[in-house]
Order: sequence, then C-alpha cells, then structure tokens
Amino acid sequence: MNAPPEAGKSRLEGTHLLVRAGEYACALPLASVRRVVRALSVHPLPGAAAELEGLAEFGGEPLPVLNLGRLVRAPAGPNPTYPVTVVVWVGPTEAREMLGLACDSALEVVHVPAGSVVAGDGGFLLGEAPVGGEVVRVLNLEALGRTG
Amino acid sequence: MSVPHARGFLLLRRGGGLWGIANAAVDGLARHGVDYRITIGGNGGGDLVADEILGVVEDLRVWPLAPAVSRFWPEAAAGLALHGREPVVVVDPGRPPAALSAEGSEEGDRPDDEERE
Repeated sequence: MNAPPEAGKSRLEGTHLLVRAGEYACALPLASVRRVVRALSVHPLPGAAAELEGLAEFGGEPLPVLNLGRLVRAPAGPNPTYPVTVVVWVGPTEAREMLGLACDSALEVVHVPAGSVVAGDGGFLLGEAPVGGEVVRVLNLEALGRTG
Repeated sequence: MSVPHARGFLLLRRGGGLWGIANAAVDGLARHGVDYRITIGGNGGGDLVADEILGVVEDLRVWPLAPAVSRFWPEAAAGLALHGREPVVVVDPGRPPAALSAEGSEEGDRPDDEERE
C-alpha cells in the first residue's frame, strides 16, 4: 500500500519551536532544542549583563540561562502563567554548548519556510517571518555561541 | 566536556552566588566583622571578601566557561562547577571577579582572631 504523498511531507513540516518572550513570538530551530522544562531555579551572577539571568543546574551540569526577552529586546508582556526554560544547543556544531533560554511560554511547533524569513541582522536575529497571522522573530542559535 | 578534575576548593558565598577557589591558592582566611577576608596568591596582594564560608570540598568537576557566558559576563573564571545542585563559579586566582573584591567593602576594619594560615 502506498502512503499518500502528503503523509511524508507533513512529517517534515515542523522546523521551529515557537516561544513567547515578552510581546514577541520567537521561532527557535527545532534541531537546536534539547528540552523544554518548567522554569529552572536560577542563581544570579553578580556583574552580569541583564541578558544573562544566571546559572542553573540541568542534567548534572551547570547551565547558563539567558533571558530571551532581553536578548531580542522584547517589550515586557503580561506576567507569564507558565514560564519555561528551553534548553538549547548554541554555537557551531563542532563546538556547541548548552544554554537555557528563559521564556514566558512554549507555544507550538511550526513550519517556517526558509524563503519566508526577511530583514534579519545576519546574526542571532535571522529575520522575521509570518506564522499563523503573526510576525515572529526567527533566531539563529548557532550565532549566539560564537565568540567575538 | 570537562577539564581534568581539580582537588580541594574553598567554597564561599558572595552576592547571592556560590564561588570556589582552589585551596592551594588560598594564603589566608580571616573573619572581619560580619564577613570574611580571603588572601589568595596571584592577585597582587589584594584580599577577597565573602559573606559566608561553606568549607572545603575535596573534589569538584570543573566545566570550562562557555563563550556565551563570557559575552554577557565581563569577568575571567577558571570555569563552572556544581556543589550539590547549586552552580559554582570557579575563580581564577590570578584574575578574581570584581564581585569578590574587598576594595570598597565597608566591613574591613574589625578583624577577629579567627585566622588560618
């Protein structure tokens, strides 16, 4: 029995995890997402920039946690009802590192066609794309781990 | 990935965070009023300050400081570790972070007898 042509195609559609950070929706490459967990307990790091919330423990290792809303300069939204930490891989494949991204919520897995992304800065903010009637920030997590 | 195991770290709390210093680098520890002063080799004779001394742990697995941390925290460190489930910043004795600096601390003029050499 042959599977309908659309069946295989639909399995490939999820490319990004959509999360809420303040008033912005951000799309994280699904391949870089390791896990979504209830907001981890974070210990502040004195002297750190506001983007770095602090350090947490995850899987028996110290985990730096960044505030995604501050990273993308999102205006503050309403108080999150179910804040999460998205554990992701950042940096180039050969030197990737694990980070936590503090978000207001994880929304859904979505398909973001590469051709739909426009107006990025070529770095961490890959660009913006329309998803489900909303413009979302599409992020390049590989760039986040680069030095310099 | 981790760097080779290091043995013997003095654990202290400062600014709400947990810090570790290689025990071999500690030249002295003294109580000054409500806080503690730690003399370490390699920092030009300057003391470090701590709110609380947790003690010495013999074994601490140290992970290198990730580039993403260095981007948002302008300090040097020997790495990161865990004590129980609490993260520890392992101090580079030659370049201790400003958060541990005794300079400017208000609690430096009342040394007690409790001192270690």
